[in-house]
Amino acid sequence: MTARLLPKKDLPGFIAALAKKQEVWAPVRIQSQEAARFSRIDRPEDICLDYLNTKLPVKELFFPQREVMFTFNPGERSSAQASAQVRERVVLGVRPCDAAALELFDKVFVDESKTASPLAESKTAGPLADPYYKERRDKTTLIGLACNAPGQACFCTATDGGPHSTRGLDLLLIDLGDRFLARPVTAKGEALAKGLARAKDKDISLADELAEEARATMDFAIELKQLQKSLDKAFDHEVWHRLSLPCVNCGVCTYVCPACHCFDVTDEEYKDSGARIRTWDSCQFSLFTRHASGHNPRPDGMSRMRNRTLHKFCYFPKTQDKVLCVGCGRCITECPAGIDLRETLETLRDTLS
Amino acid sequence: MSTEAALRDRCRALLQSGEVALVVGYRAARTGGNCTPAFVTGPDQAELLVLDKTCHHNLAAYLPGLRHKGRVAVVSTGPTSRSIVNLLKENQFDRKDLHIIGVPDPSSAPASNVRNAVLFDEFIGDKADEPAPAPDQDLAAFEAKTPAERWEILFADLSNCIRCYACRQVCPNCYCPTCFVDASRPQRVGRTPDRSDTIMFHVMRAMHMAGRCVECGACARACPMGIDLMVINRKVAAIVRDRFGHVSGMSLDDPLPLTTFTPEDGQEFIE
Repeated sequence: MTARLLPKKDLPGFIAALAKKQEVWAPVRIQSQEAARFSRIDRPEDICLDYLNTKLPVKELFFPQREVMFTFNPGERSSAQASAQVRERVVLGVRPCDAAALELFDKVFVDESKTASPLAESKTAGPLADPYYKERRDKTTLIGLACNAPGQACFCTATDGGPHSTRGLDLLLIDLGDRFLARPVTAKGEALAKGLARAKDKDISLADELAEEARATMDFAIELKQLQKSLDKAFDHEVWHRLSLPCVNCGVCTYVCPACHCFDVTDEEYKDSGARIRTWDSCQFSLFTRHASGHNPRPDGMSRMRNRTLHKFCYFPKTQDKVLCVGCGRCITECPAGIDLRETLETLRDTLS
Repeated sequence: MSTEAALRDRCRALLQSGEVALVVGYRAARTGGNCTPAFVTGPDQAELLVLDKTCHHNLAAYLPGLRHKGRVAVVSTGPTSRSIVNLLKENQFDRKDLHIIGVPDPSSAPASNVRNAVLFDEFIGDKADEPAPAPDQDLAAFEAKTPAERWEILFADLSNCIRCYACRQVCPNCYCPTCFVDASRPQRVGRTPDRSDTIMFHVMRAMHMAGRCVECGACARACPMGIDLMVINRKVAAIVRDRFGHVSGMSLDDPLPLTTFTPEDGQEFIE
């Protein structure tokens, strides 16, 4: 596909043109803070492209922390509101790690190999999918922003990604100083960039150089296939007790993780009506596995911390052939106890090999 | 000898002699310029211990999880030691199982808090100058606003909450076996990040902190969303100070204000 150029001075115009046809979402600075978070954009000047990573990953636009699945009224035949009710939208400024995580989400929430059950009310026979997630995904075009200066905690190169990776994106913007190189990845992305001038060879080679430079700053590497094999036999190893001691079992790492996708479903009722609500849940909470009997198969912090690590680096790779981590580093920068996942993985490698 | 070197020597000796089975302190994290709580069990690992300005975690939060696991030494800054005082008073840890190594707080976060350990078995290093008592100007500015403005500030800040419970998990006061937000039969507080649910969580939590919070600021530092929880906690502490003359965690002998009846307690709610 043809790489194109977007001069920075034309960015507001480019966004305004996008906004005529669909919603535009992009990082916006959180009030009175350094951090940014994805929000709906009304004015192009609200967009903040000066961030390492958004506070919360882009997953919140596809898998919101709170989602009403349907509402019900006793005595009435309930009608499932199996729709996310979103409009067509473009999300701008997605980091390559966040986009790569959406590919992992697709593995969880959409199964192309099976068709939706004939019992489902859906009239079109599509893949077996979570309707809320799928609708949001289908209606979204993702414009990425490549990382020329990865942070101290970034390690995407160790997890099958890269600072200029196009995995999961429709179009990737690469900052070349006074202009962006726009690299289309999908037909959707190509359509967005159609009106832009073609990039020259020197722009493309400059972008390649920047990608190489960014990659060179990231030094964490680990043999994940080997680790997966070691972890498979390490469930009862004493190392987990040692590793989990500093962990306070809050949900920060899971909630800021672009790949964590666990949820809880609760009913909220008020007088004569109610709603079934899906909210994020975290395997670090004791409630996550507590049975109705009161028995908890993961009764302590050690077993919960172990589960998160094994899920990401052993169980998920076993069934889906990919680690459930994209190396964004948010869990490292946000951990209240200063736990570094890279150190955890290195300790596991060194102890179990 | 630096305080840090003296601390390492002392911890090595404590572990070598078997006086303690575990030292809870600080060590450098993998990424430079940060530290993480350290759990040292062997004399040879005492080298890992550090004491620098990044050592801000309130280590008392780990104590309830370390009950009945042998004698524990804890590196205690001012705020950590104040929390230990409260845990002992609330019978959450056996004093016999605890060896408190007092140190001057190298992080002085928050700046207004006590810097030197208030309760210790031994003190390592030179005592730091305690901050001069000063009026809490941030709190005064907050109190000067109208109730509507105060709600507006709290609403705006708390609507960023993602219910990760980092504030609760790093708090030494939060050791309930089942937190009220986790009660599910019946469920008392909704699980969503909606304003009504987050306000309910934070207000109820603040109530449980009255007379117990030592204002270490761990909750605010732990919050990934940058919510200034200390506005609420300092206000609650100020109310307890005004009404009961009680400053939390300063002495083992002070009665706990909200579980002790005295005839002098204000009773203006009885009309």
